Amino acid sequence: MGTTITKEQNSYAANAAAQNLSARFSDAGITVEIIAHNAGKRFEFVRIICSPEQWRAVAKHLKNELGVNHCAMVTGTHYPEGGDRGWEVAYHMHRWPITDVEAHTMIVHSGESLEGDDIPMEFEIFINLPPGDSPAVPSVQDLWVGADWNEKETWDLVGIDFEGHENMHRVLNPHDSPVGFHPLQRQHKIRYHDFNEMYDDPQGFGRKPVDEGRVK
Amino acid sequence: MAEMWITMGPQHPMTHGLWTLRVKVDGETVTDTEAELGYIHRGVEKICESRDFTQITPYCDRLCYVSAMTWAHAYIMAAEDLLEAEVPERAEYIRLMAAEVQRLASHLMWLGAFGPDIGNLTLMTWCLRDREMFLDLLQELGGSRMHYNYPRVGGVKRDIPIGWANRLKAKVKLFENRINEYEMLLDESTIWLVRLQGVGYATAEDQINAGVTGPNIRAAGVNTDARWTNPYSVYDQVDWEPAVEKPTSIKGADCYDRYRVRMEEMRQSCRMLLDAIDKIPGGANTHYQPGDEMLITKAPTRAPEGATGFSTYECTRGVSNFYLQGGGDNRGKNPYRVSIRSPMFITIPYVAKTMIGYKVADIPAIMGSFDPCIGETDR
Repeated sequence: MGTTITKEQNSYAANAAAQNLSARFSDAGITVEIIAHNAGKRFEFVRIICSPEQWRAVAKHLKNELGVNHCAMVTGTHYPEGGDRGWEVAYHMHRWPITDVEAHTMIVHSGESLEGDDIPMEFEIFINLPPGDSPAVPSVQDLWVGADWNEKETWDLVGIDFEGHENMHRVLNPHDSPVGFHPLQRQHKIRYHDFNEMYDDPQGFGRKPVDEGRVK
Repeated sequence: MAEMWITMGPQHPMTHGLWTLRVKVDGETVTDTEAELGYIHRGVEKICESRDFTQITPYCDRLCYVSAMTWAHAYIMAAEDLLEAEVPERAEYIRLMAAEVQRLASHLMWLGAFGPDIGNLTLMTWCLRDREMFLDLLQELGGSRMHYNYPRVGGVKRDIPIGWANRLKAKVKLFENRINEYEMLLDESTIWLVRLQGVGYATAEDQINAGVTGPNIRAAGVNTDARWTNPYSVYDQVDWEPAVEKPTSIKGADCYDRYRVRMEEMRQSCRMLLDAIDKIPGGANTHYQPGDEMLITKAPTRAPEGATGFSTYECTRGVSNFYLQGGGDNRGKNPYRVSIRSPMFITIPYVAKTMIGYKVADIPAIMGSFDPCIGETDR
Protein backbone atom coordinates (compact mmCIF):
# COMPACT_ATOMS: atom_id res chain seq x y z
CA MET A 1 0.00 0.00 0.00
CA GLY A 2 1.17 3.47 -0.73
CA THR A 3 1.77 5.74 2.21
CA THR A 4 -0.64 8.65 2.59
CA ILE A 5 -1.86 11.44 4.83
CA THR A 6 -5.11 10.69 6.63
CA LYS A 7 -8.04 13.03 6.86
CA GLU A 8 -7.60 13.35 10.63
CA GLN A 9 -4.00 14.44 10.27
CA ASN A 10 -4.97 16.96 7.61
CA SER A 11 -7.79 18.35 9.70
CA TYR A 12 -5.56 18.55 12.79
CA ALA A 13 -2.82 20.38 10.90
CA ALA A 14 -5.25 22.84 9.30
CA ASN A 15 -6.80 23.66 12.67
CA ALA A 16 -3.45 24.02 14.40
CA ALA A 17 -2.14 26.34 11.70
CA ALA A 18 -5.33 28.41 11.63
CA GLN A 19 -5.34 28.79 15.43
CA ASN A 20 -1.71 29.79 15.44
CA LEU A 21 -2.34 32.43 12.78
CA SER A 22 -5.51 33.72 14.43
CA ALA A 23 -3.77 34.05 17.80
CA ARG A 24 -0.92 36.02 16.25
CA PHE A 25 -2.94 38.21 13.88
CA SER A 26 -6.41 38.43 15.41
CA ASP A 27 -6.00 42.13 16.29
CA ALA A 28 -4.72 43.06 12.85
CA GLY A 29 -7.94 42.29 11.00
CA ILE A 30 -6.55 39.41 8.98
CA THR A 31 -9.06 36.74 7.99
CA VAL A 32 -7.98 33.16 8.54
CA GLU A 33 -10.32 30.41 7.32
CA ILE A 34 -10.18 26.66 6.96
CA ILE A 35 -11.57 25.64 3.58
CA ALA A 36 -12.09 22.15 2.23
CA HIS A 37 -11.51 21.26 -1.41
CA ASN A 38 -14.68 20.42 -3.34
CA ALA A 39 -13.40 17.32 -5.08
CA GLY A 40 -11.00 14.43 -4.66
CA LYS A 41 -10.20 13.67 -1.02
CA ARG A 42 -11.79 16.95 0.13
CA PHE A 43 -8.74 17.85 2.17
CA GLU A 44 -8.64 21.10 4.08
CA PHE A 45 -6.30 24.02 3.60
CA VAL A 46 -5.79 27.39 5.26
CA ARG A 47 -6.88 30.54 3.48
CA ILE A 48 -5.53 33.89 4.65
CA ILE A 49 -6.90 37.22 3.43
CA CYS A 50 -4.74 40.19 4.27
CA SER A 51 -3.80 43.64 3.05
CA PRO A 52 -0.53 44.45 1.27
CA GLU A 53 0.76 46.24 4.38
CA GLN A 54 0.30 43.11 6.48
CA TRP A 55 1.69 40.68 3.92
CA ARG A 56 5.37 40.79 4.93
CA ALA A 57 4.52 40.08 8.58
CA VAL A 58 2.26 37.20 7.59
CA ALA A 59 4.89 35.78 5.25
CA LYS A 60 7.61 35.90 7.89
CA HIS A 61 5.30 34.20 10.36
CA LEU A 62 4.45 31.48 7.85
CA LYS A 63 8.07 30.81 7.11
CA ASN A 64 9.58 31.03 10.60
CA GLU A 65 6.77 29.77 12.85
CA LEU A 66 4.74 27.43 10.65
CA GLY A 67 7.57 25.98 8.59
CA VAL A 68 6.14 26.85 5.17
CA ASN A 69 9.05 26.02 2.90
CA HIS A 70 7.67 26.02 -0.63
CA CYS A 71 6.21 28.99 -2.50
CA ALA A 72 4.32 27.19 -5.24
CA MET A 73 2.78 29.94 -7.31
CA VAL A 74 1.88 33.61 -7.45
CA THR A 75 -1.22 34.62 -9.37
CA GLY A 76 -2.33 38.11 -10.20
CA THR A 77 -5.89 38.81 -11.32
CA HIS A 78 -7.31 42.00 -12.78
CA TYR A 79 -10.90 43.04 -11.95
CA PRO A 80 -11.68 46.13 -14.02
CA GLU A 81 -15.47 45.91 -13.58
CA GLY A 82 -15.56 48.28 -10.66
CA GLY A 83 -16.11 47.70 -6.98
CA ASP A 84 -13.47 48.21 -4.34
CA ARG A 85 -11.32 45.33 -5.51
CA GLY A 86 -9.33 46.16 -8.60
CA TRP A 87 -6.63 43.54 -8.37
CA GLU A 88 -5.97 40.42 -6.41
CA VAL A 89 -2.69 38.65 -5.76
CA ALA A 90 -2.91 35.01 -4.66
CA TYR A 91 0.08 33.22 -3.18
CA HIS A 92 -0.10 29.44 -2.91
CA MET A 93 2.32 27.84 -0.50
CA HIS A 94 3.05 24.36 0.75
CA ARG A 95 4.60 23.00 3.88
CA TRP A 96 6.41 19.74 3.32
CA PRO A 97 8.62 17.76 5.73
CA ILE A 98 11.92 18.35 3.95
CA THR A 99 15.26 18.60 5.73
CA ASP A 100 18.84 18.10 4.64
CA VAL A 101 20.33 14.66 5.21
CA GLU A 102 23.81 13.40 5.93
CA ALA A 103 25.72 11.77 3.12
CA HIS A 104 24.62 8.20 2.38
CA THR A 105 21.46 8.50 4.46
CA MET A 106 17.87 9.24 3.62
CA ILE A 107 14.60 10.12 5.30
CA VAL A 108 11.71 7.85 4.46
CA HIS A 109 8.61 9.44 5.95
CA SER A 110 5.61 7.29 6.55
CA GLY A 111 2.70 9.65 5.98
CA GLU A 112 0.47 8.18 8.67
CA SER A 113 3.02 8.70 11.44
CA LEU A 114 3.81 12.37 10.77
CA GLU A 115 2.89 14.74 13.58
CA GLY A 116 2.63 18.44 14.33
CA ASP A 117 4.36 20.78 11.92
CA ASP A 118 5.64 17.88 9.84
CA ILE A 119 2.18 17.23 8.42
CA PRO A 120 1.99 18.65 4.89
CA MET A 121 -0.32 21.65 4.63
CA GLU A 122 -1.46 23.97 1.91
CA PHE A 123 -1.77 27.73 2.37
CA GLU A 124 -3.60 30.17 0.15
CA ILE A 125 -3.04 33.87 0.70
CA PHE A 126 -5.27 36.44 -0.98
CA ILE A 127 -4.11 40.04 -1.06
CA ASN A 128 -6.77 42.42 -2.34
CA LEU A 129 -5.70 45.66 -3.94
CA PRO A 130 -7.80 48.74 -4.75
CA PRO A 131 -8.50 49.71 -8.38
CA GLY A 132 -5.86 51.82 -10.02
CA ASP A 133 -3.07 51.79 -12.52
CA SER A 134 -0.25 50.81 -10.21
CA PRO A 135 -1.09 47.74 -8.11
CA ALA A 136 1.76 46.88 -5.75
CA VAL A 137 2.49 44.34 -3.04
CA PRO A 138 5.70 43.78 -1.07
CA SER A 139 7.94 41.10 -2.49
CA VAL A 140 8.84 37.94 -0.54
CA GLN A 141 11.74 37.09 -2.79
CA ASP A 142 14.16 37.19 0.14
CA LEU A 143 12.13 34.66 2.15
CA TRP A 144 11.56 32.07 -0.57
CA VAL A 145 13.90 31.95 -3.52
CA GLY A 146 11.08 30.15 -5.33
CA ALA A 147 8.99 33.34 -5.18
CA ASP A 148 11.59 35.15 -7.28
CA TRP A 149 10.65 33.94 -10.75
CA ASN A 150 6.99 33.55 -9.84
CA GLU A 151 6.87 37.26 -9.02
CA LYS A 152 8.81 38.12 -12.18
CA GLU A 153 6.21 36.22 -14.18
CA THR A 154 3.29 37.89 -12.39
CA TRP A 155 4.72 41.34 -13.06
CA ASP A 156 5.47 40.42 -16.67
CA LEU A 157 2.02 39.02 -17.47
CA VAL A 158 -0.31 40.88 -15.09
CA GLY A 159 1.56 44.04 -14.19
CA ILE A 160 1.57 43.71 -10.41
CA ASP A 161 4.51 45.64 -8.99
CA PHE A 162 6.49 43.76 -6.34
CA GLU A 163 8.10 46.32 -4.05
CA GLY A 164 11.63 45.41 -3.08
CA HIS A 165 12.03 42.77 -5.76
CA GLU A 166 15.58 42.82 -7.06
CA ASN A 167 16.39 42.33 -10.72
CA MET A 168 12.83 42.51 -12.03
CA HIS A 169 12.69 41.89 -15.77
CA ARG A 170 10.55 40.35 -18.49
CA VAL A 171 10.63 36.55 -18.44
CA LEU A 172 7.97 35.28 -20.85
CA ASN A 173 7.22 38.32 -22.99
CA PRO A 174 9.97 39.66 -25.27
CA HIS A 175 12.49 41.82 -23.47
CA ASP A 176 11.65 44.78 -25.71
CA SER A 177 7.90 44.69 -25.00
CA PRO A 178 6.47 48.19 -24.53
CA VAL A 179 6.56 49.54 -21.00
CA GLY A 180 3.19 48.96 -19.38
CA PHE A 181 2.19 46.09 -21.65
CA HIS A 182 0.97 43.22 -19.50
CA PRO A 183 -1.17 40.85 -21.58
CA LEU A 184 -3.24 39.28 -18.81
CA GLN A 185 -4.81 42.60 -17.94
CA ARG A 186 -8.42 42.69 -19.03
CA GLN A 187 -8.21 45.58 -21.47
CA HIS A 188 -6.20 43.34 -23.78
CA LYS A 189 -8.71 41.24 -25.69
CA ILE A 190 -7.80 37.93 -27.17
CA ARG A 191 -7.92 38.54 -30.91
CA TYR A 192 -9.94 41.72 -31.05
CA HIS A 193 -13.30 40.64 -29.73
CA ASP A 194 -14.22 39.66 -26.26
CA PHE A 195 -14.47 36.03 -25.36
CA ASN A 196 -18.16 35.48 -26.06
CA GLU A 197 -18.09 36.76 -29.65
CA MET A 198 -15.07 34.68 -30.42
CA TYR A 199 -16.79 31.71 -28.95
CA ASP A 200 -19.72 32.05 -31.35
CA ASP A 201 -17.52 32.66 -34.36
CA PRO A 202 -14.18 30.99 -33.80
CA GLN A 203 -13.18 30.94 -37.46
CA GLY A 204 -14.09 34.54 -38.12
CA PHE A 205 -16.64 33.78 -40.88
CA GLY A 206 -19.02 36.42 -39.58
CA ARG A 207 -16.59 39.26 -40.04
CA LYS A 208 -17.93 42.63 -40.96
CA PRO A 209 -16.49 44.86 -43.72
CA VAL A 210 -15.12 47.17 -41.07
CA ASP A 211 -12.95 44.32 -39.85
CA GLU A 212 -11.12 43.89 -43.16
CA GLY A 213 -7.39 43.81 -42.72
CA ARG A 214 -7.52 43.31 -38.99
CA VAL A 215 -5.90 40.26 -37.53
CA LYS A 216 -8.32 37.58 -36.41
CA MET B 1 42.52 35.15 -17.68
CA ALA B 2 39.82 37.60 -18.59
CA GLU B 3 36.25 36.60 -17.90
CA MET B 4 33.77 36.55 -20.75
CA TRP B 5 30.12 35.80 -21.43
CA ILE B 6 29.24 33.02 -23.84
CA THR B 7 25.73 32.16 -24.98
CA MET B 8 24.46 28.58 -25.08
CA GLY B 9 21.20 28.36 -26.96
CA PRO B 10 18.52 28.90 -28.07
CA GLN B 11 19.77 26.29 -30.57
CA HIS B 12 22.07 24.06 -28.56
CA PRO B 13 21.93 20.34 -27.71
CA MET B 14 22.27 21.13 -24.01
CA THR B 15 19.04 23.12 -23.82
CA HIS B 16 16.55 20.32 -24.64
CA GLY B 17 14.34 22.99 -26.15
CA LEU B 18 14.42 26.67 -26.92
CA TRP B 19 16.00 28.80 -24.26
CA THR B 20 19.26 30.55 -23.67
CA LEU B 21 21.80 29.98 -20.98
CA ARG B 22 24.28 32.82 -20.76
CA VAL B 23 27.43 31.66 -19.05
CA LYS B 24 30.25 33.80 -17.70
CA VAL B 25 33.46 31.82 -17.87
CA ASP B 26 36.90 32.24 -16.44
CA GLY B 27 38.92 29.85 -18.54
CA GLU B 28 37.01 26.59 -18.20
CA THR B 29 35.25 27.52 -14.96
CA VAL B 30 31.71 28.87 -14.82
CA THR B 31 31.61 32.00 -12.68
CA ASP B 32 28.09 33.29 -13.35
CA THR B 33 25.02 32.28 -15.31
CA GLU B 34 21.76 33.76 -16.45
CA ALA B 35 18.76 31.93 -17.88
CA GLU B 36 16.60 33.51 -20.56
CA LEU B 37 13.20 31.92 -21.15
CA GLY B 38 10.10 32.79 -23.11
CA TYR B 39 11.01 31.74 -26.64
CA ILE B 40 7.87 29.63 -27.05
CA HIS B 41 5.47 31.55 -24.82
CA ARG B 42 2.03 30.87 -26.28
CA GLY B 43 -0.16 32.69 -23.80
CA VAL B 44 -2.04 29.57 -22.71
CA GLU B 45 -3.39 31.32 -19.62
CA LYS B 46 -4.94 34.07 -21.72
CA ILE B 47 -6.35 31.64 -24.30
CA CYS B 48 -7.92 29.52 -21.57
CA GLU B 49 -9.95 32.51 -20.38
CA SER B 50 -11.99 32.30 -23.58
CA ARG B 51 -12.50 28.54 -23.62
CA ASP B 52 -14.94 26.45 -21.61
CA PHE B 53 -13.77 23.88 -19.12
CA THR B 54 -13.67 20.95 -21.54
CA GLN B 55 -11.99 22.95 -24.29
CA ILE B 56 -9.11 23.86 -22.01
CA THR B 57 -7.92 20.24 -21.69
CA PRO B 58 -6.22 20.07 -25.13
CA TYR B 59 -4.27 23.24 -24.37
CA CYS B 60 -3.03 21.68 -21.15
CA ASP B 61 -1.98 18.57 -23.08
CA ARG B 62 0.19 20.80 -25.19
CA LEU B 63 1.89 22.41 -22.24
CA CYS B 64 4.37 19.56 -22.30
CA TYR B 65 4.43 17.23 -25.25
CA VAL B 66 6.57 14.70 -23.36
CA SER B 67 4.10 14.39 -20.53
CA ALA B 68 0.72 15.43 -21.89
CA MET B 69 -1.39 13.05 -19.82
CA THR B 70 -0.15 14.26 -16.44
CA TRP B 71 -0.65 17.91 -17.38
CA ALA B 72 -4.19 17.31 -18.54
CA HIS B 73 -4.88 15.54 -15.26
CA ALA B 74 -3.39 18.38 -13.24
CA TYR B 75 -5.77 20.78 -14.94
CA ILE B 76 -8.80 18.54 -14.71
CA MET B 77 -8.32 18.12 -10.95
CA ALA B 78 -8.45 21.88 -10.48
CA ALA B 79 -11.55 22.06 -12.69
CA GLU B 80 -13.22 19.37 -10.59
CA ASP B 81 -12.37 21.31 -7.46
CA LEU B 82 -13.95 24.41 -8.97
CA LEU B 83 -17.04 22.69 -10.38
CA GLU B 84 -17.54 20.25 -7.49
CA ALA B 85 -17.44 17.10 -9.58
CA GLU B 86 -17.17 13.58 -8.20
CA VAL B 87 -15.08 11.01 -10.03
CA PRO B 88 -16.13 7.32 -10.09
CA GLU B 89 -13.57 4.95 -8.64
CA ARG B 90 -13.03 3.07 -11.87
CA ALA B 91 -12.23 6.33 -13.59
CA GLU B 92 -9.73 7.14 -10.84
CA TYR B 93 -7.96 3.84 -11.47
CA ILE B 94 -7.90 4.44 -15.20
CA ARG B 95 -6.49 7.92 -14.63
CA LEU B 96 -3.83 6.54 -12.32
CA MET B 97 -2.77 3.99 -14.90
CA ALA B 98 -2.77 6.53 -17.71
CA ALA B 99 -0.64 8.93 -15.66
CA GLU B 100 1.84 6.25 -14.66
CA VAL B 101 2.22 4.96 -18.22
CA GLN B 102 2.88 8.56 -19.19
CA ARG B 103 5.45 8.84 -16.41
CA LEU B 104 7.28 5.83 -17.84
CA ALA B 105 7.19 7.33 -21.32
CA SER B 106 8.38 10.71 -20.02
CA HIS B 107 11.25 9.29 -17.96
CA LEU B 108 12.29 7.22 -20.96
CA MET B 109 12.37 10.33 -23.09
CA TRP B 110 14.49 11.98 -20.40
CA LEU B 111 16.91 9.06 -20.24
CA GLY B 112 17.04 8.91 -24.02
CA ALA B 113 17.87 12.60 -24.27
CA PHE B 114 20.27 12.48 -21.33
CA GLY B 115 22.37 9.70 -22.90
CA PRO B 116 23.59 11.78 -25.87
CA ASP B 117 24.32 14.67 -23.46
CA ILE B 118 26.81 12.41 -21.71
CA GLY B 119 28.10 10.79 -24.88
CA ASN B 120 26.09 7.60 -24.97
CA LEU B 121 24.23 7.76 -28.27
CA THR B 122 22.97 4.17 -28.16
CA LEU B 123 20.76 4.96 -25.21
CA MET B 124 18.57 7.29 -27.27
CA THR B 125 17.51 4.57 -29.71
CA TRP B 126 16.93 2.04 -26.96
CA CYS B 127 14.82 4.35 -24.84
CA LEU B 128 12.74 5.56 -27.76
CA ARG B 129 12.09 1.94 -28.70
CA ASP B 130 10.65 1.30 -25.23
CA ARG B 131 8.85 4.61 -25.08
CA GLU B 132 6.99 3.65 -28.24
CA MET B 133 5.46 0.65 -26.43
CA PHE B 134 3.92 2.97 -23.86
CA LEU B 135 2.86 5.58 -26.37
CA ASP B 136 0.97 2.81 -28.15
CA LEU B 137 -0.89 2.07 -24.93
CA LEU B 138 -1.78 5.73 -24.48
CA GLN B 139 -2.82 5.98 -28.10
CA GLU B 140 -5.38 3.26 -27.48
CA LEU B 141 -6.85 5.41 -24.70
CA GLY B 142 -6.79 8.87 -26.21
CA GLY B 143 -6.68 8.21 -29.93
CA SER B 144 -3.48 10.04 -30.75
CA ARG B 145 0.16 9.45 -30.09
CA MET B 146 1.18 12.53 -28.15
CA HIS B 147 -1.79 14.68 -27.15
CA TYR B 148 -4.56 12.56 -25.76
CA ASN B 149 -7.29 14.93 -24.54
CA TYR B 150 -8.30 12.00 -22.36
CA PRO B 151 -9.58 13.14 -18.95
CA ARG B 152 -12.92 14.89 -18.61
CA VAL B 153 -14.36 16.89 -15.75
CA GLY B 154 -15.88 14.11 -13.63
CA GLY B 155 -14.23 11.12 -15.28
CA VAL B 156 -12.54 9.95 -18.45
CA LYS B 157 -13.42 10.11 -22.13
CA ARG B 158 -13.70 6.37 -22.69
CA ASP B 159 -12.95 3.07 -21.02
CA ILE B 160 -9.77 1.05 -21.46
CA PRO B 161 -10.19 -1.13 -24.56
CA ILE B 162 -10.61 -4.92 -24.33
CA GLY B 163 -7.18 -6.51 -24.08
CA TRP B 164 -5.46 -3.27 -23.02
CA ALA B 165 -4.77 -4.70 -19.58
CA ASN B 166 -3.05 -7.76 -21.01
CA ARG B 167 -0.93 -5.68 -23.34
CA LEU B 168 -0.04 -3.36 -20.48
CA LYS B 169 0.98 -6.29 -18.29
CA ALA B 170 3.15 -7.85 -20.98
CA LYS B 171 4.84 -4.56 -21.79
CA VAL B 172 5.45 -3.60 -18.18
CA LYS B 173 6.95 -7.00 -17.39
CA LEU B 174 9.19 -6.77 -20.43
CA PHE B 175 10.18 -3.26 -19.45
CA GLU B 176 11.04 -4.20 -15.87
CA ASN B 177 13.80 -6.40 -17.27
CA ARG B 178 14.89 -3.63 -19.60
CA ILE B 179 15.40 -1.25 -16.66
CA ASN B 180 17.89 -3.74 -15.21
CA GLU B 181 19.55 -3.95 -18.59
CA TYR B 182 19.95 -0.18 -18.81
CA GLU B 183 21.32 0.02 -15.31
CA MET B 184 23.87 -2.66 -16.06
CA LEU B 185 24.86 -0.83 -19.20
CA LEU B 186 25.16 2.57 -17.56
CA ASP B 187 26.48 1.80 -14.11
CA GLU B 188 29.46 -0.04 -15.57
CA SER B 189 30.24 2.65 -18.10
CA THR B 190 33.24 4.66 -16.92
CA ILE B 191 32.27 7.67 -19.02
CA TRP B 192 28.79 7.72 -17.51
CA LEU B 193 30.13 7.60 -13.95
CA VAL B 194 32.95 10.09 -14.46
CA ARG B 195 30.66 12.65 -16.02
CA LEU B 196 27.82 12.32 -13.51
CA GLN B 197 29.42 11.68 -10.16
CA GLY B 198 30.56 14.65 -8.13
CA VAL B 199 28.96 17.37 -10.24
CA GLY B 200 25.81 19.41 -9.80
CA TYR B 201 25.33 19.09 -6.05
CA ALA B 202 21.99 20.36 -4.69
CA THR B 203 20.71 19.89 -1.14
CA ALA B 204 17.10 19.22 -0.21
CA GLU B 205 16.49 22.42 1.75
CA ASP B 206 18.06 24.61 -0.92
CA GLN B 207 15.94 23.01 -3.55
CA ILE B 208 12.61 23.26 -1.77
CA ASN B 209 13.29 26.89 -0.87
CA ALA B 210 13.99 27.56 -4.54
CA GLY B 211 10.78 25.75 -5.50
CA VAL B 212 12.40 22.66 -7.01
CA THR B 213 10.24 19.59 -6.50
CA GLY B 214 9.65 16.07 -7.76
CA PRO B 215 12.39 13.53 -8.51
CA ASN B 216 15.09 16.19 -8.14
CA ILE B 217 14.32 16.66 -4.47
CA ARG B 218 13.78 12.96 -3.84
CA ALA B 219 17.31 12.40 -5.12
CA ALA B 220 18.51 14.54 -2.20
CA GLY B 221 17.30 12.01 0.35
CA VAL B 222 13.70 12.94 1.26
CA ASN B 223 10.75 10.94 0.01
CA THR B 224 8.40 13.91 -0.39
CA ASP B 225 6.00 13.21 -3.21
CA ALA B 226 2.71 15.00 -3.87
CA ARG B 227 1.12 11.63 -4.49
CA TRP B 228 1.13 11.07 -0.73
CA THR B 229 1.69 14.49 0.84
CA ASN B 230 -1.30 15.98 -0.97
CA PRO B 231 -3.10 12.73 -1.71
CA TYR B 232 -5.33 12.48 -4.75
CA SER B 233 -6.73 9.72 -6.92
CA VAL B 234 -6.25 6.18 -5.53
CA TYR B 235 -2.52 6.23 -4.83
CA ASP B 236 -3.28 5.18 -1.25
CA GLN B 237 -4.84 1.94 -2.48
CA VAL B 238 -2.15 0.64 -4.80
CA ASP B 239 1.19 -0.87 -3.98
CA TRP B 240 4.10 1.57 -4.32
CA GLU B 241 6.73 3.52 -2.43
CA PRO B 242 8.05 6.93 -3.37
CA ALA B 243 11.43 6.56 -5.05
CA VAL B 244 14.20 8.10 -2.93
CA GLU B 245 17.96 8.09 -3.21
CA LYS B 246 20.73 8.49 -0.64
CA PRO B 247 22.77 11.52 -1.69
CA THR B 248 26.46 10.78 -2.02
CA SER B 249 27.69 13.88 -0.25
CA ILE B 250 26.84 16.34 2.49
CA LYS B 251 26.57 18.83 -0.37
CA GLY B 252 23.43 17.02 -1.54
CA ALA B 253 22.49 15.01 -4.57
CA ASP B 254 24.71 14.94 -7.63
CA CYS B 255 23.73 14.15 -11.22
CA TYR B 256 24.21 10.46 -10.61
CA ASP B 257 21.70 10.45 -7.74
CA ARG B 258 19.13 12.16 -9.92
CA TYR B 259 19.66 9.54 -12.59
CA ARG B 260 19.28 6.76 -9.98
CA VAL B 261 16.08 8.16 -8.53
CA ARG B 262 14.38 8.31 -11.92
CA MET B 263 15.32 4.73 -12.65
CA GLU B 264 13.80 3.72 -9.32
CA GLU B 265 10.73 5.81 -10.05
CA MET B 266 10.19 3.87 -13.27
CA ARG B 267 10.30 0.62 -11.27
CA GLN B 268 7.73 2.00 -8.84
CA SER B 269 5.46 3.03 -11.73
CA CYS B 270 5.65 -0.52 -13.09
CA ARG B 271 4.78 -1.90 -9.67
CA MET B 272 1.85 0.48 -9.39
CA LEU B 273 0.54 -0.41 -12.84
CA LEU B 274 0.64 -4.16 -12.23
CA ASP B 275 -1.19 -3.71 -8.94
CA ALA B 276 -3.79 -1.27 -10.28
CA ILE B 277 -4.70 -3.57 -13.14
CA ASP B 278 -5.66 -6.27 -10.61
CA LYS B 279 -7.59 -3.93 -8.34
CA ILE B 280 -9.59 -1.88 -10.83
CA PRO B 281 -13.30 -1.94 -9.92
CA GLY B 282 -15.41 -3.61 -12.60
CA GLY B 283 -12.49 -5.68 -13.86
CA ALA B 284 -9.74 -4.85 -16.32
CA ASN B 285 -11.28 -6.81 -19.16
CA THR B 286 -14.72 -5.23 -19.08
CA HIS B 287 -15.48 -2.40 -21.45
CA TYR B 288 -18.06 0.17 -20.48
CA GLN B 289 -19.55 2.44 -23.09
CA PRO B 290 -18.46 6.09 -23.06
CA GLY B 291 -20.60 8.07 -20.66
CA ASP B 292 -21.30 5.08 -18.42
CA GLU B 293 -21.63 5.99 -14.76
CA MET B 294 -18.59 3.80 -14.01
CA LEU B 295 -16.51 6.20 -16.10
CA ILE B 296 -17.92 9.67 -15.72
CA THR B 297 -20.41 11.58 -13.61
CA LYS B 298 -22.39 14.61 -14.57
CA ALA B 299 -20.70 17.84 -13.65
CA PRO B 300 -21.86 21.43 -13.90
CA THR B 301 -20.43 23.42 -16.79
CA ARG B 302 -20.62 26.84 -15.17
CA ALA B 303 -18.74 27.99 -12.13
CA PRO B 304 -20.15 30.61 -9.76
CA GLU B 305 -18.40 33.92 -9.33
CA GLY B 306 -15.82 33.91 -6.57
CA ALA B 307 -15.39 30.13 -6.58
CA THR B 308 -11.83 28.87 -6.82
CA GLY B 309 -10.24 25.57 -7.72
CA PHE B 310 -6.71 24.49 -6.92
CA SER B 311 -4.83 21.30 -7.63
CA THR B 312 -1.48 19.92 -6.58
CA TYR B 313 -0.31 17.20 -8.91
CA GLU B 314 2.91 15.21 -9.12
CA CYS B 315 3.89 15.61 -12.73
CA THR B 316 6.89 13.79 -14.10
CA ARG B 317 9.22 16.76 -13.51
CA GLY B 318 7.87 17.97 -10.21
CA VAL B 319 4.75 19.36 -8.65
CA SER B 320 2.47 21.28 -10.94
CA ASN B 321 -0.37 23.46 -9.71
CA PHE B 322 -3.42 24.89 -11.39
CA TYR B 323 -5.45 27.69 -9.91
CA LEU B 324 -8.83 28.50 -11.48
CA GLN B 325 -11.35 31.21 -10.73
CA GLY B 326 -15.00 30.87 -11.66
CA GLY B 327 -16.57 33.68 -13.59
CA GLY B 328 -20.27 33.71 -12.76
CA ASP B 329 -23.01 34.40 -15.27
CA ASN B 330 -21.31 37.08 -17.33
CA ARG B 331 -18.44 34.74 -18.23
CA GLY B 332 -20.70 31.95 -19.49
CA LYS B 333 -18.98 28.59 -19.34
CA ASN B 334 -15.51 30.11 -19.22
CA PRO B 335 -13.29 30.54 -16.19
CA TYR B 336 -12.34 34.05 -15.15
CA ARG B 337 -8.69 33.26 -14.64
CA VAL B 338 -6.49 30.21 -15.18
CA SER B 339 -3.07 30.19 -13.61
CA ILE B 340 -0.48 27.50 -14.17
CA ARG B 341 2.52 26.65 -12.06
CA SER B 342 5.13 24.82 -14.02
CA PRO B 343 7.84 23.07 -12.00
CA MET B 344 10.46 23.60 -14.69
CA PHE B 345 9.89 27.35 -14.90
CA ILE B 346 11.19 27.59 -11.34
CA THR B 347 13.79 24.85 -11.67
CA ILE B 348 15.70 26.13 -14.70
CA PRO B 349 16.80 29.44 -13.09
CA TYR B 350 17.80 27.47 -9.98
CA VAL B 351 19.81 24.93 -11.97
CA ALA B 352 21.54 27.74 -13.85
CA LYS B 353 22.82 29.05 -10.52
CA THR B 354 23.97 25.61 -9.28
CA MET B 355 26.36 25.39 -12.23
CA ILE B 356 28.56 28.13 -10.84
CA GLY B 357 31.94 26.71 -9.91
CA TYR B 358 31.81 23.73 -12.24
CA LYS B 359 33.46 23.38 -15.63
CA VAL B 360 31.81 24.31 -18.91
CA ALA B 361 31.87 20.64 -19.90
CA ASP B 362 29.69 19.79 -16.88
CA ILE B 363 26.84 22.04 -18.00
CA PRO B 364 25.05 19.46 -20.20
CA ALA B 365 25.29 16.85 -17.45
CA ILE B 366 23.91 19.16 -14.77
CA MET B 367 21.17 20.62 -16.94
CA GLY B 368 20.12 17.26 -18.36
CA SER B 369 19.96 15.60 -14.95
CA PHE B 370 17.19 18.01 -13.90
CA ASP B 371 15.07 17.00 -16.89
CA PRO B 372 14.19 20.36 -18.46
CA CYS B 373 11.11 20.71 -20.66
CA ILE B 374 10.56 24.05 -22.32
CA GLY B 375 6.96 23.54 -23.42
CA GLU B 376 5.72 23.72 -19.85
CA THR B 377 8.29 26.34 -18.86
CA ASP B 378 7.14 28.96 -21.32
CA ARG B 379 3.44 28.07 -21.39
